Amino acid sequence: MAGIFGFYAFGEGRENWDSKNFIYYGLSSLQGRGQEAASFAVYNHEVKSLKWIFGDGLVEDVFERIKRDDVKGFLGIGQVSTEKGDYVIKVEEPIQLALVGDGKPALHENRQVSFQIFAEMLSKEIDEKKDPIDAAKNLIKEVKGGYSFIALTKDQKMICGRDIHGIKPLEVGAIGFDIGAIASESSALDVIGAEHSGYIRPGEVVTLDPLSIERRSFSNKTAYCSFEYVYLARPDSYLNSIPVGKVREMIGKRLAEENPVKADVIIGVPDTAIPFSMAYSEHSDIPVRLGFTRTGRHVRSAIKPSQFERIVGVQLKLNPIKTSVDGKEIILIDDSVVRGNTLRNTVYNIKRKGAKKVHVRVGSPPLIARCPFGTEVPQEDELIGRALSNDEIAEIIGADTFAYLSIEGLIESVGLPKSSLCLGCFTGKYPEGSL
Amino acid sequence: MKIMGVGNASREHAIAEALERSKYNPKVFWLAEIRNPGIFYICKKTGGDFSLSKTTEPDKVASYAERWGVDFVIVGPEEPNFHGVPDELEKRGIPCVGANKEVAMIEMSKAEMRRLQWEYGIKGKLLFKTFKSSQDAYTVLERYSDTLTWLQNVALKPARQAGGKGVKVVEDQQLYLHDEKQRFKSRHADWLEGYMKSYSDIDDKILVEEKVWGPEYTLQCFTDGKCIKGMPLVQDNKHAHEFDIGTETGGMGSISGPSFNLPFITKEEYEESLEIVKSLVQAIQEKTGKSYHGIVAGQMMLTEIEGPTIIEMYSRFGDPEALNVLSILKTDFVDICLAILDGKLSNLKVEFDEKATVVKALAPKGYPDYRELAKNHLVSVDEKAIRQEGCKFYWGSANLSENGEILSAGSRLVEILAIADDIQEASRMIDNCIPYVKLSDGWGLFYRSDIGSHELLSKRIDVANRVRRLYQYRRDKGILGKRIDWLPKVGKMDPVALLKSELSKSKGED
Repeated sequence: MAGIFGFYAFGEGRENWDSKNFIYYGLSSLQGRGQEAASFAVYNHEVKSLKWIFGDGLVEDVFERIKRDDVKGFLGIGQVSTEKGDYVIKVEEPIQLALVGDGKPALHENRQVSFQIFAEMLSKEIDEKKDPIDAAKNLIKEVKGGYSFIALTKDQKMICGRDIHGIKPLEVGAIGFDIGAIASESSALDVIGAEHSGYIRPGEVVTLDPLSIERRSFSNKTAYCSFEYVYLARPDSYLNSIPVGKVREMIGKRLAEENPVKADVIIGVPDTAIPFSMAYSEHSDIPVRLGFTRTGRHVRSAIKPSQFERIVGVQLKLNPIKTSVDGKEIILIDDSVVRGNTLRNTVYNIKRKGAKKVHVRVGSPPLIARCPFGTEVPQEDELIGRALSNDEIAEIIGADTFAYLSIEGLIESVGLPKSSLCLGCFTGKYPEGSL
Repeated sequence: MKIMGVGNASREHAIAEALERSKYNPKVFWLAEIRNPGIFYICKKTGGDFSLSKTTEPDKVASYAERWGVDFVIVGPEEPNFHGVPDELEKRGIPCVGANKEVAMIEMSKAEMRRLQWEYGIKGKLLFKTFKSSQDAYTVLERYSDTLTWLQNVALKPARQAGGKGVKVVEDQQLYLHDEKQRFKSRHADWLEGYMKSYSDIDDKILVEEKVWGPEYTLQCFTDGKCIKGMPLVQDNKHAHEFDIGTETGGMGSISGPSFNLPFITKEEYEESLEIVKSLVQAIQEKTGKSYHGIVAGQMMLTEIEGPTIIEMYSRFGDPEALNVLSILKTDFVDICLAILDGKLSNLKVEFDEKATVVKALAPKGYPDYRELAKNHLVSVDEKAIRQEGCKFYWGSANLSENGEILSAGSRLVEILAIADDIQEASRMIDNCIPYVKLSDGWGLFYRSDIGSHELLSKRIDVANRVRRLYQYRRDKGILGKRIDWLPKVGKMDPVALLKSELSKSKGED
């Protein structure tokens, strides 16, 4: 998966803006969506061409490597990704363009290859149709999958769009009378000082050119990725006009209602489960305590590539605070369970620090199936939720009780009808016509 | 009765239509710089006349009025006011609904308007500074933004009303993006200096004001100088493009209703806004000794610091805001004009239908910053189809040529209006009409589908609620209008006191 960002300056004097630092901070705020590679492309009006910058690592690492004044442009797009080597796509012929994408078009097994094909198709289509909005519309109609993208052509056109179900998010904002900004999450807009003004609809194409912004939409389907609300997105983001923070509070409340248990203290696993734990506490009258302190940089353990790194990640991330757990019955809340080993490690750690009992509650339903839209859910035979019952999982991870959020609980927490959500990783059923 | 109008935009088309509707069945005469087809046909239909002429030369305008022998004149746009067209007409004994040159100063000089406001202690003020050169502006912006913190978040404007162009808002809240914003401020100050070279009627060139945020709204009023009658509130949308993105325009569309007020402004806020406009009119009359008779409008914003706040003043109807109010005006427009001219406005009941209205403008691509691209495209409109959708159609920047062809003239080409029970319904009605307006050469037109949508309206309501909480907190604490900083090693800093002392010093120098 990825986080994507676009910056577009309008009006007389627009070449005075330099997009680079806006992209830097925009991407930094999307870092949670991918920490293995960062890249961007800008349109430089002096050479009338696109320039590409890319590298593996965090946004700050990649930006440190560039000489700042080399790359200047008042239009630009950027991406962070969960895969090394997954950079802004380059197409030279027939129309030079750069493209960033989140999710995955159903064109190839591999995400990068899939977007490469998509970008090449877009370039050809624009060359034939001349009008980029028609070109992109045709493409979205034709290409299945769950994806959102931002492309920038050499002719200063920015083309943004979402698949017909709108599985992956894409938000829009503005700065003053000058800047239009597009991002995977609205928090990226906040961070650059933009006003969040709306979102691109499922199946919608929005084009920005020096003279206008055009929108074209033809889909009446909706299937927003529900995992975004549980885990992927930041709690300060709005996606599709739904506040993620609010969904997470609702989930905490639901957890308290669905599987109540007596305990002394509630602890949330940082960072995603913290709002769950706070809302659980509010609705159960059990106090919430700070359970862990982190060492080093923020690492998102569920999307780290290797097993070893994940365990290292979790151990560094989560050193328990003994006084919060010693001699107490604990409700431990986590956001999701993939293979169970990080959770096992966490339960072990707090029991070792003296917890009497540990009741594990998970803020999402069991993960039982792969995500064909680019989110790195492991192979189905690696998913503990698919293989084992709650009691078996409790036994394996060393918890006293173990329970998930129900699927109904998730749907009601998001507040949309079931038919408007993609619940594929929890149900194995994907939106009709998306594969 | 013979009535003459001046100006050639959609606003003037709406004024002409309001005159045509009158029970007096006046003959409508018009003077304009391009042949707006809508106004042209109303003149023909009512037995009046239409002529092309420069509208900013008082002599020329007055001569036409004399030649046609009209009973009175109504001026649409601001520039004739700034050039003294109403003054010249009155000198020749022809009554005019339009702000005289001296009182129109509240619109022409955004800097003078602010000075007047501070001098008379009128509510809804903003901190400001004026500059004669861009060099001065960025020296101050750069050097003093540590001690005068409001200079970090500013609106940079031409000091004179310049066709709604040249305003940039730069909020420098993110320290990490400071260099980008600072550079842009300097470059824009340069641009403003160059742009203002074409205006010789004002000393101040660049106006820097503190940046505020909140919902904007326009309060248009009739006044005879003694009495002010407020019209229903309208909200214009200045950004060129969807999602509130892009360059500032004259206005891409506006909403009003469904009641007299907008859904996100309270009755108290309306009353306070009206009081502010009234005080400003009184102040300019007192200052100049001239009567203000015509239209006056406050382009307002609800702000955290002051509550209802003046952003700019208009000495005329807004465009497109004129369309919203005139289309639901129940009182005879000619009666209102006569009451304004006779100084009897207080005796007249001015009434409006309680309906929602939405206006959307269509402009050729290129508007507003690259107008040459937007000019001289052949226009085709299916007016009948638009009427069948229940909408009304107003010509704007469109020029009817001798051979009957209509060509785009570079600005907002047409405006479409719908009246309905709620704003969203009116918005949808207009969206259905968009395909009926075309440029025959295939050049693109743009408009904003989002104006009047549920999404945008909710956003406005949300912003209004947040800002209302903040200014009411200030009001409750008794600190509305106060701005206080504390600076390490310097201590308390009061930019209001500083501005006041600067103003009284420069007054002493006069």
